[in-house]
Amino acid sequence: MSKTPAGERLRRVLAMVPWVVANPGVAVDQIAERFGISETDVLDDLHVVWMVGLPPYTPDALVEVVVEDSRVWIHYADFFARPLRMTPGQGLALLASSDALLSLPGTDPAGPLSRALDKLAAALNIDVDESLQVSLGAAGTEHLEPLRAAIAAGTEVQIEYFSYGRDQVSSRRVAPWHLSSNGGAWYVEAWCHNANGERLFRLDRIAELATTGQVSEHPPRGPRGKEPGFQPMAGHDRIKLRLTKGASWVVDTYPCEQVERHDDESVTATLAVSSTPWLERLLLRLGPDAEVVPDGSFDGADNVAAAAARRILGRYRS
Amino acid sequence: MSKLERLLNLTAVLLDTDRPLSAASIRNRVEGYPEATASFRRSFERDKDDLRSLGIPLRVERVPGVDPPVDGYRIPPDEYYFPDPDLEPDELAALHLASMSVRVDGLGEEEALWKLGGLSDVQSDPAAGSVAVPTSPALVPLFDAIAARRAVRFTYNKEERLVDPWRLDFHRGRWYLTGHDHLRSAERNFRLDRIGGEVVPEGEPGQAAQGDRPATGRRLQAWEIGDHPPTLVKLRVDPARVAWARKQFGPDVAAAPEADGGVVLEVPVVMIDAFRSLVLEFLDHAEILEPPEMRDDMIRWLSEVAKQ
Repeated sequence: MSKTPAGERLRRVLAMVPWVVANPGVAVDQIAERFGISETDVLDDLHVVWMVGLPPYTPDALVEVVVEDSRVWIHYADFFARPLRMTPGQGLALLASSDALLSLPGTDPAGPLSRALDKLAAALNIDVDESLQVSLGAAGTEHLEPLRAAIAAGTEVQIEYFSYGRDQVSSRRVAPWHLSSNGGAWYVEAWCHNANGERLFRLDRIAELATTGQVSEHPPRGPRGKEPGFQPMAGHDRIKLRLTKGASWVVDTYPCEQVERHDDESVTATLAVSSTPWLERLLLRLGPDAEVVPDGSFDGADNVAAAAARRILGRYRS
Repeated sequence: MSKLERLLNLTAVLLDTDRPLSAASIRNRVEGYPEATASFRRSFERDKDDLRSLGIPLRVERVPGVDPPVDGYRIPPDEYYFPDPDLEPDELAALHLASMSVRVDGLGEEEALWKLGGLSDVQSDPAAGSVAVPTSPALVPLFDAIAARRAVRFTYNKEERLVDPWRLDFHRGRWYLTGHDHLRSAERNFRLDRIGGEVVPEGEPGQAAQGDRPATGRRLQAWEIGDHPPTLVKLRVDPARVAWARKQFGPDVAAAPEADGGVVLEVPVVMIDAFRSLVLEFLDHAEILEPPEMRDDMIRWLSEVAKQ
């Protein structure tokens, strides 16, 4: 972003002029639509371009702009006849979006997006195969197509869903609304008839999905989509852990409160507990790298890991 | 005269010249600067910032044949212009759609599309979904360095690294850099969110070593990474966790069905810690059957935790 309004306008004009030069006689409203501004702004910008030129600023050294019947011609704009090179960030944004979509199942590898990516990469002098890979997560992507079809048709699907937090599998009838990918996982936002409310489901936790063709009746989608991932709230239990250096990834991975770093690179952190199975998994995985600090933790916190370990051991010893 | 007009004239004059122009001669040639020398200086400094923030390649070079030396300015046309990729209308529309459904935050996709001929008249498909790809401050400088085949310096795990950057990967919600680490004299991966401070390019463009083309096909899972040969582990998974287990271990892992609807997976394990962590995610719905040393490792681990 440029720091000044004039810089922002320059940004737009340097992109707009080459397009008008390449499309002689283009309509003002069409320019406005392409560059996302009002027709008045287009005419203001063109008015300025008209004055531009090289010393001694005699008419033959100035850009000529002709506006007739709401159509535009630009002549003698040799220096601005071609667009300014993309910044690395702009090039990366387009390449990354395209590469991400092309990594999904069902994308035509010879389609227009793939051809556009090749041409753009060549213009930017980047070998995309060698230097950029954007993967949105493959797990569960087989459900994308049936869910898209159900969203488009407004119909329900029946899913077998593994709730990771509750460590339970349940069968649910849901009306999908919106698909999204975030943090390497795909989610579908839906009305869940079993829960009688809006829910967010992770596609890699959908065991089975059957389309019913049934047109769904449910309240309209809420004003704001649910955020994926766990959001700590006041009502959740808190646990205080002392983590060794090797376990400090926990602090980067989960929302933590009151993080305290010690000289030996161990960390003390307080975490909100989203569910008991979640805490069991975390403590079992960390093993000797985590220690529950009784101060600030809920009753029985120091026994969660041991109880879970004994439950699993029962299976190995039976 | 508007400031926009002055900026356009300045750009035209600097593109037109093949020798660097001093500030004094720019003041003579470009209309619209204030008369007083101090105000001219301030305006000219701000204009240079504006041009640079747009990505305009403003070169500062010594004006030839002048003593004492004076800085001069020019914009090399071959660095300014974007080579036309010659996109067909359907290709431009596909790029526009892609940038609407996969948002790479804050990198200026809209302006990139302007430079390709403006936003085309496409409607996003609400059923297609939305994707947010986060960015990191290190991302653009690293991409720039890869494109220019230039080495970079940055701080990682409190150590100064000099790296020939090869590839950027976005995987499981995070960006990674692969490159040749001069400190370790080996290929290394770096998490971008752990790169501290600025990424500073070093050396001349075109000088950095290039990497081997990455092996195509499947990316190794955490428990498959390591130097020693894999151990084939039999893992029994209960019926209600079979679908989730298949997604966690991937489609290449062999699965023998059991009478009750459960499966026995055969997982090639190199990194025992990573495998143990994943099995523990199943709580009491999975059990390592063979080989005995892997089963014993799990029992030992659980017994330690049970004593805590």
